[in-house]
Amino acid sequence: MSSVGLGTARTPRGGLRGRIVAGLELLAPLRAVDPLVVGATFGLVAIGMVAIYSSKLATLTAQGLPTTTFLTRQLIAGGVGLVGLVAATVFDYRRLRAFIPVGYLGTLLLLAAVLTPLGTSVRGSQRWISLLGFQVQPSELMKIALLLALAMLFNETEGVPGLGRTGVAVLLALVPLGLVFAQPDLGTSLVYLWLTGIVLLVSGVRVRYLLLLAGIGVATFVLGLRTELIRDYQLQRLTVFLGADAPDADFAGALFQTRQSMIAIGSGGTYGRGLFEGTQTALAYVPDNHTDFIFTVVGEELGFVGAATVIALFALLLWRAVAIASQAVDRDAMIIAAGVAGILLMQVFVNVGMTVGIMPVTGLPLPFLSYGGTSLIIWMTMVGLLLNVHQRRR
Amino acid sequence: MSFSVNVPEPLDRSTALRLAFLATLSILLLGALLARLWFLQVLAGDRFAELADSNRLRTVVSQAPRGHILAADGSELVTNRAALALTADRQALVDDDGRPRDERAARTVRRLATLLDVDEATLLERIGDVRYSPFRPVPIAVDVDPEAVLTVRQNQELFVGISAETIPVRDYPEGDLAAHLVGYLGQISREELGEPAYADYRGGDLVGRGGLEQAYEGELRGRGGQEVYVVNRRGSVIDVQSRREARPGLDLVTWLDLDVQRAVESALAEGIVASREIVRDDGRNLPSTAGSAIVLDARTGGVVAMASYPSYDPTEFVGGVSTTYWSFVNDPAQGQPLNNRPIAGQYPPGSVYKIVTGAAMYEAGLITPATRIGCPGSYTVADVTFRNWNPANEGPMDLATALKRSCDTYFYDLAYRQWQVEQREETPDEVLQRVSRSFGLGGRLGIDLPGERAGVVPGREWRREFWLRYRDGYCEQAERAEPGSFEAELLGDLCRFGGIWRGGDAINMSIGQGDVLVTPLQMAAAYQAIANDGVLLRPTVGRELRDVDGTLVRTIPAEELSRVELTDPQLDSIRRGLERTVMEPGGTAYGAFFGFPFDTVPVAGKTGTAERDPRVPYAWFAAYAPADDPRYVVAVSVEEGGGGSQTAAPIARRILEHLFDVGAPDAGGFVPGPEILD
Repeated sequence: MSSVGLGTARTPRGGLRGRIVAGLELLAPLRAVDPLVVGATFGLVAIGMVAIYSSKLATLTAQGLPTTTFLTRQLIAGGVGLVGLVAATVFDYRRLRAFIPVGYLGTLLLLAAVLTPLGTSVRGSQRWISLLGFQVQPSELMKIALLLALAMLFNETEGVPGLGRTGVAVLLALVPLGLVFAQPDLGTSLVYLWLTGIVLLVSGVRVRYLLLLAGIGVATFVLGLRTELIRDYQLQRLTVFLGADAPDADFAGALFQTRQSMIAIGSGGTYGRGLFEGTQTALAYVPDNHTDFIFTVVGEELGFVGAATVIALFALLLWRAVAIASQAVDRDAMIIAAGVAGILLMQVFVNVGMTVGIMPVTGLPLPFLSYGGTSLIIWMTMVGLLLNVHQRRR
Repeated sequence: MSFSVNVPEPLDRSTALRLAFLATLSILLLGALLARLWFLQVLAGDRFAELADSNRLRTVVSQAPRGHILAADGSELVTNRAALALTADRQALVDDDGRPRDERAARTVRRLATLLDVDEATLLERIGDVRYSPFRPVPIAVDVDPEAVLTVRQNQELFVGISAETIPVRDYPEGDLAAHLVGYLGQISREELGEPAYADYRGGDLVGRGGLEQAYEGELRGRGGQEVYVVNRRGSVIDVQSRREARPGLDLVTWLDLDVQRAVESALAEGIVASREIVRDDGRNLPSTAGSAIVLDARTGGVVAMASYPSYDPTEFVGGVSTTYWSFVNDPAQGQPLNNRPIAGQYPPGSVYKIVTGAAMYEAGLITPATRIGCPGSYTVADVTFRNWNPANEGPMDLATALKRSCDTYFYDLAYRQWQVEQREETPDEVLQRVSRSFGLGGRLGIDLPGERAGVVPGREWRREFWLRYRDGYCEQAERAEPGSFEAELLGDLCRFGGIWRGGDAINMSIGQGDVLVTPLQMAAAYQAIANDGVLLRPTVGRELRDVDGTLVRTIPAEELSRVELTDPQLDSIRRGLERTVMEPGGTAYGAFFGFPFDTVPVAGKTGTAERDPRVPYAWFAAYAPADDPRYVVAVSVEEGGGGSQTAAPIARRILEHLFDVGAPDAGGFVPGPEILD
């Protein structure tokens, strides 16, 4: 139905009225936006803004700084994100295809540049680079670039993708993965891996290939342990959370963050301690509670009701993403929508799972909520891609 | 091209299946998150809320100043003072096993050991004292040399984790005066911390041990202050959650007269030491190992003075007693100075008990004040001969005279007759036992001091139970004894008939021998009852409680324990007997009180010489004065002090002279009385 409005030019009318109608014609795609996707996105971003404000309220007050310092920065990122969202919605994905190789290679260059002295190091990880005066995180950008590249790769195939194409896909993923792993950022490396896996899955790659790749992955991991390519602390972080419930756990050391995070969320109870009333939040017991551990603020101050609401909003987005994928006209559109769903699922599960002590602490931000401009912009852009695919659905 | 794109293609089955897989995976993973959140927040939420509170709240306690202990006139017996102390931050110095945390801590401990002149092990033990909360500085040395404190303060970098502060400690302006009454403070033990009675206490708290400190712990202690702070992750204080001011303990005003207490203590100590010069018939000196002296207010039961010899120094307990001193105060060879004999010593009373027997014989109706009974040199019943202390026959006499002369055979005869009466009864009404109890014997009086003993009033029931408990032992020993020997015969008799209360038992009991045991306080109380027209009052040390401003909070009332059933003439005859004992020639205490100004202060009293084979007899003297209008009761007992007239009565005389401010100024010392072993 919407494709009619897109492809067919209407008889232009004269006068002011005609120009208004013509203007509305341009906006036609916006009328076909999925309201649930937009609602869930804005809901999550709004909750994130409030949580970021709350997480820094006490600390900033104590330091005598404006309490909106972090909120303002995130709001600006949100504005940019909105531009990204609209652009990604409006710009027909079919016309996007031409730019994908350039985008992928460009992002790859940026990722490589991060590792040079151009990059900025925070707490032993080199993740940021200064671009036009902004600190950006190319590894976040790469999520989109890789997704689009893979989508394009498999779009050309008729029927079941062969071994060769699958190999190329793995190669496309492994190059950025290696660069990110070197930062080191284990969490994001695993996101690329997962994303590739999801894309291979929905592209129709034979199950036996998938199993083969999984086998190779496990073998590599074991080899990584043997050769100490995976560092001790990384492995420790992956396994230590398993002891979080043990009475003699070392809460002062590796488990401190997990433990404090669980206390914060648990103490919220059913209805929460009230907005801006969380003691774990206000007294900064949970490190990084404006970034990776933002969910603890929601859990403590808004309780199970608030936490479940956030999960429900994510569930809504995931449902819409999978639904949009199944309605996509093109293979690459389907892959894009499914890929967005895949990354979203992984990041939500790993991040929230980490705050409630069922997943290791890996340093993945919570989509839409965590403080951090690049992440927010990338996620809003990905929502734009979803909407784009949705408008051009069957 | 664009045309073909716009043609809807049916989704192939494989892709649909794979997307369904992705959707299922999403449902499973998000479901897992929700389940975990439900567990953390809804099911375990309360526990985590507590953890969040314990995270952010830090409690700092402050001690309440402990109440003072005052004499009746308000003069101070026990107060507080600020002492220089060194405290250690346990967490900074030692690990969980009590070893130095690191090399720097080890060096600090080594330096401190040198500075304080104690060995490192002791120091580490004090620092690691688990009774202290790890968040509280542990006092490791109290009353530290100011120079040592200065050294620590000026070289703080060499003594990391050690700080100097002033802490309140007990102060004794009168030194070791009334040590046994006062008691001391000790650290609360781990076991006590677990008891509900000490719910309000924390590790490291001091608690009253012995004496008034223990008896009035609840009142003297007050309530510690408590401040609850909100702290952040780095431990900096953000806010004050709650604040409770410390409430100082109440001051305890006692019945004590410190002047009298001093005189009683010195009279007892000097008398005991001087009596050791006395040489007995066997050529050996009197051992006079220990003793007690008590002064009661005859009309209220208030304890005016109470002394136990040997004594100890309570200041040794300030800041923790040393092991050496602790073994000294508990050493039997030193007479166990910690033992508070007036209430914890149990002795046979000997002849001081005869007022009870006399009252019982009135009660039994065997005699009237005019009844005269013989006083032969010995009394034989069923082939067993019981002797009077005086081998000469003194002829018939009334009860008053029998008390004055402390005639044993007089009481033997009455006791035996009463025993015969009771033997004929189906359920014997044991009059002597009943009257003994009405005098406060055989049970705790309930004085406001810990450690009081009950004594023993034996009788038929008691004898039977005692026998049942020890019969097997007697029988076993009897079998092992040489057949035909006296020992075998005695043990065989005990084995078979030991449970029978016999005439001989009644005879022995009538003069305060046999199995009767009393505490010096019980004997003082019995004489208080006679002095107070038969009304026995509970002896009390505490008189009232006042708050820190001196406002009266509570009066501790005088309490009537019982009434001795005696008619006025009967009571009079006993009192006359006691007066004649002291003031009339021929009375057993006349010699010891020779020259006492009876015109000013008439005295009534009774001597006692309690046999406790194979030891030297225990000396007793109990009295009240003025005899016509009693104000004070005085009771003195000396372990292995020989005759009551010889040792105990002279000590009591010194006390009475001080109480009434009479007697020759030069007659300060102890003058032994005549040896009458009544």
